Amino acid sequence: MPKIRRRTFLKGVAGGVGLAALSTPSFRLLEAAAAGKSKPQGSRDQTFRTGHSNNCDGSCGHLVHVRDGRVRLIEGAPWDDTTVSGAQAPDYHARICLRGISQIQNTYSPDRIRYPYKRIGPRGSGRWQRITWGEATSTIAQKFQEIQQKYGKTAIWIPPYTGSLSVLEGVIGAGYRFASVIGASGGDFEGDNEGDSATPAGFNYVLVDPTNPANGGGFLDGHEFTDFMNSKVIFLWANNLAETSIPDWRTVMAARKNGTKVVALDPRFTPTSASADVWVPIRPGTDPALVDGMIRDILQRNMINEDYLRSYSVAPFLVREDTKLFLREKDVTPGGSDAYMVMDKDGSLKAVTDPNLKQARLYAATTVGKMRVRTALQALRDAMEPYTPEYVAKITDVKPEMVTQLAELYAQANPAAIKCGFGLSHWYRGDLTYQAMLTMAALTGNIGVHGGGVTTYSGALLTTAYDLGDWLFPDGKSYTYLPPMQACDAMLKNDPYPVRAAWFVVDNYAQQMSDKNKVRKALESLDFLVVSDYVMSATADLADIVLPSCTYLEKTDLLGSGNYYLQYMPKVIEPLWESKSDLDQFTMVARKMGYGKYFDKTPDEYITQILRIGQKDADATVAGLTWDQLKNGAPHLNTATVPYVPFFNKQFPTKSGRIEFYVELLVPYDQELCGYKEPIEATPSNPLYKKYPLVFLSTHTRFRTHSQYTHLPWLDEINNQGQGFLEINPRDARARGIADGAVVRVFNDRGEMKVHARYTEGIKPGVVNCYQGGWDTVRVKQYVEGHPNNLTHQIANPAQSIIPNFRSNAAYYDCLCQVEPVGV
Amino acid sequence: MARWGMVIDQSKCVGCWTCAVGCKAINDEPLGYWWNRVLTTEPDSSAQVAAPATPAVDVPHGTYPNLELAYLPLACQHCNDAPCEKVCPVGATFRRDDGLILIDYERCIGCRYCVAACPYGVRIFNWGPAKREPDFVIGYGEEYRTGGRLVFEPVRPVGIVEKCTLCVERVDANEQPFCVDVCPVGARVFGDLDDPKSEVSVLVNDEGAEQLLAELGTNPNVYYLPSSHPSKVSD
Repeated sequence: MPKIRRRTFLKGVAGGVGLAALSTPSFRLLEAAAAGKSKPQGSRDQTFRTGHSNNCDGSCGHLVHVRDGRVRLIEGAPWDDTTVSGAQAPDYHARICLRGISQIQNTYSPDRIRYPYKRIGPRGSGRWQRITWGEATSTIAQKFQEIQQKYGKTAIWIPPYTGSLSVLEGVIGAGYRFASVIGASGGDFEGDNEGDSATPAGFNYVLVDPTNPANGGGFLDGHEFTDFMNSKVIFLWANNLAETSIPDWRTVMAARKNGTKVVALDPRFTPTSASADVWVPIRPGTDPALVDGMIRDILQRNMINEDYLRSYSVAPFLVREDTKLFLREKDVTPGGSDAYMVMDKDGSLKAVTDPNLKQARLYAATTVGKMRVRTALQALRDAMEPYTPEYVAKITDVKPEMVTQLAELYAQANPAAIKCGFGLSHWYRGDLTYQAMLTMAALTGNIGVHGGGVTTYSGALLTTAYDLGDWLFPDGKSYTYLPPMQACDAMLKNDPYPVRAAWFVVDNYAQQMSDKNKVRKALESLDFLVVSDYVMSATADLADIVLPSCTYLEKTDLLGSGNYYLQYMPKVIEPLWESKSDLDQFTMVARKMGYGKYFDKTPDEYITQILRIGQKDADATVAGLTWDQLKNGAPHLNTATVPYVPFFNKQFPTKSGRIEFYVELLVPYDQELCGYKEPIEATPSNPLYKKYPLVFLSTHTRFRTHSQYTHLPWLDEINNQGQGFLEINPRDARARGIADGAVVRVFNDRGEMKVHARYTEGIKPGVVNCYQGGWDTVRVKQYVEGHPNNLTHQIANPAQSIIPNFRSNAAYYDCLCQVEPVGV
Repeated sequence: MARWGMVIDQSKCVGCWTCAVGCKAINDEPLGYWWNRVLTTEPDSSAQVAAPATPAVDVPHGTYPNLELAYLPLACQHCNDAPCEKVCPVGATFRRDDGLILIDYERCIGCRYCVAACPYGVRIFNWGPAKREPDFVIGYGEEYRTGGRLVFEPVRPVGIVEKCTLCVERVDANEQPFCVDVCPVGARVFGDLDDPKSEVSVLVNDEGAEQLLAELGTNPNVYYLPSSHPSKVSD
């Protein structure tokens, strides 16, 4: 057994964090017992259960201990062990992480905005004058009316506010109701177009008909997390789960104890990579090529689930070579129906609806008259032919034998799960990656089965469980959809129409949106900017009026995201200082604009309406729900199977009712099948690559959720004292004369930032990473200069426009840069 | 009489620091003070070779892509033969019969012999008035005495030494230490080491949980299951 030398160990300890007290060199007089004492006051304690709604998909339940009206401790809260209707719910552990516990610091942070303010200096000067709520809301109402009269109703933009995932005040919250009522522009419904929509877009290409209004513009629900206990292998694809959704790691570890293999695919050696059975250090942005290589291998070695493909997918459907569309009966028989055509085992062509059909062939190619046709699976096999292990290795830097090993690992485990993070969404081709993974999942019969699936977001059922029609669109009034990717052009170029004012609510667009220089210019061009937030954000810095918002503990709401439980959020403490809930803020302005009748209910009344509590027409997922259940626990939704599995009944809301791995809607984009396409910028074939040879990632860390919790002492003390840093491989650093810890300039044609370099072997050579979300505000600068989003871009992927709710997001990671020492 | 102990499973630990932040909250530790920390280390070094923590959190060892990364959560080991107790000239540091090493704040004179004697570097001296955020009392929030001795109060006096109490006030109320409760991945197990059927005993006796720096003879009641990260097939 190797022995430790004590000196070595102590050196290690001193290298850790937080020993400032020990290393202080001076002695002082002792002041024993000088400090005051607190008396036990147990009787003044109260405990509340609430949901942690701060834009973290974990959506932990919090048990909040309050003493004398102030929060004293937050811990994980238990979950109901039954569904709304009393069926057995999964065994789900109380969960919390360092961010949840730190909410006590966040809530009482000195960075809180305490009062309404109006700007008295130039934009961004940090000069404010305190005003009353009355003056603030009168000014907003008057300015909004003026601007709407002058430039049209849509000239006001109420953007998505993703700082919260709760119902009344989050991504489907009161801001949209307000936008609808006043006829303004609104951000995206339910999706986060700033960075997340590519993933659900891919999901909706293959599993949903996005053009059918009955589908509400698209689905995004994945497997309930506890379902991964049923998986034989879990591919954590670009998902640093152990760091970003820490409590879910408990489930992964429990599965692994049962024999489940865990594969991590990531260009970085993260805590997730370190703990996985297999780590695949892939070149970032090339994920679809790796999937294509796996698909080719699965097809070559016939590791497909033929019965599943024949019954539930478009595999046997014939596809025309001329139009690239499915062959229909009417294409073959004059006056025929729209029925899809297949080739029977005897070689005859039949409509898939033909009762005489014996067994449709999966692979076939033939001619019908002058038309050449082949089955969709044949088309896939043909399209995948180039993706040999060697070719894939050249693109992805994953060794050829690893490509086939991964294919085998995935296809032979039954069931096999893919769990992604939103990192894949931060690529221009994120939609394609998802399309490819779902194609592979379909081939192996892994969709709609326990332990299978392709999951990014383990929760919600927002489109079905909630009756949002009247909440978001009262009296049929509707906002005009203006996604965040188009907003800057609307402000700067009147494209597609002018936007002259905006009201951001807990949304740090000025810092967290890509191409920060463009965003800043756009926001500075506005006639009027209102920002409601609980901290003084980079966006608030630019506002004309700043309003103090409540945190999740100071208002009443409902959390139904991130899992399949309903979490009532009672007002745990009174609003601090003069902060108000978002609902109250919109109510005040709406009344002054003459729309008070649309804001006349209490939060509980709106929740009753949205969940249809006590109504016969409540959705099956919440049927029978009572206020008693909601206020005394966290019931699981009534789902067709527990844990929840999307498409468990194998009924797919696509045009064909089947899994459409061949996507007709994508023919105009040459993307009907999942053949690899290179990233839009961060790829070696890009001529820019010579000038900017490093892929610039700006990933997530456990110490923040985007730009929340960013300036909290507890977390900053662990996280480099709050100073941002650039992870760079020592090989790349030394080649540029960069010392560990030195200040470097990171730049491309769009912008630059300055930040301390941190040597780490944990990042692939040719790739650098700067954790996003650090503050770059008037008062707080967590990078030496600038922010990662000074370098990122707003290049939109047009293919995603076919999914109404999930139009192109910002491809933050699809970005090149160069790094040099400062002073060179 | 129980002998309270803890087993920390390093193969489950992902270095998230939730235990450390939870510790800060329940004990209202001042800014800059950590009773409980998480060192970035190497797997399989764990209990036997507590390698130096890398200067930066999460920086792995090795050369890309042949890398290793593990974590060592570190707080008071609650030794059965505790050097800190032996060197205390005034008997402020004492061992309760159930194994908890505690500090009597009313006796501590701040000589810091114990700080020097502790081989684990987990004792903290209050040099001056503490700074806290938020600035009101949080966490357990009350003074706590055992056998008449003051072993916890929310605002500790300047000039005394403080450290992990194994959440004595919770343990005495039949609760687990807070770090065990909040660990998001269930890497910490708390229980009675004198009960051969307890989970901690099974982990120590059958699963190979080990003491940190066992060769020093301090005989801690905190044990570690070494990280058993699988070898990677990556390269």
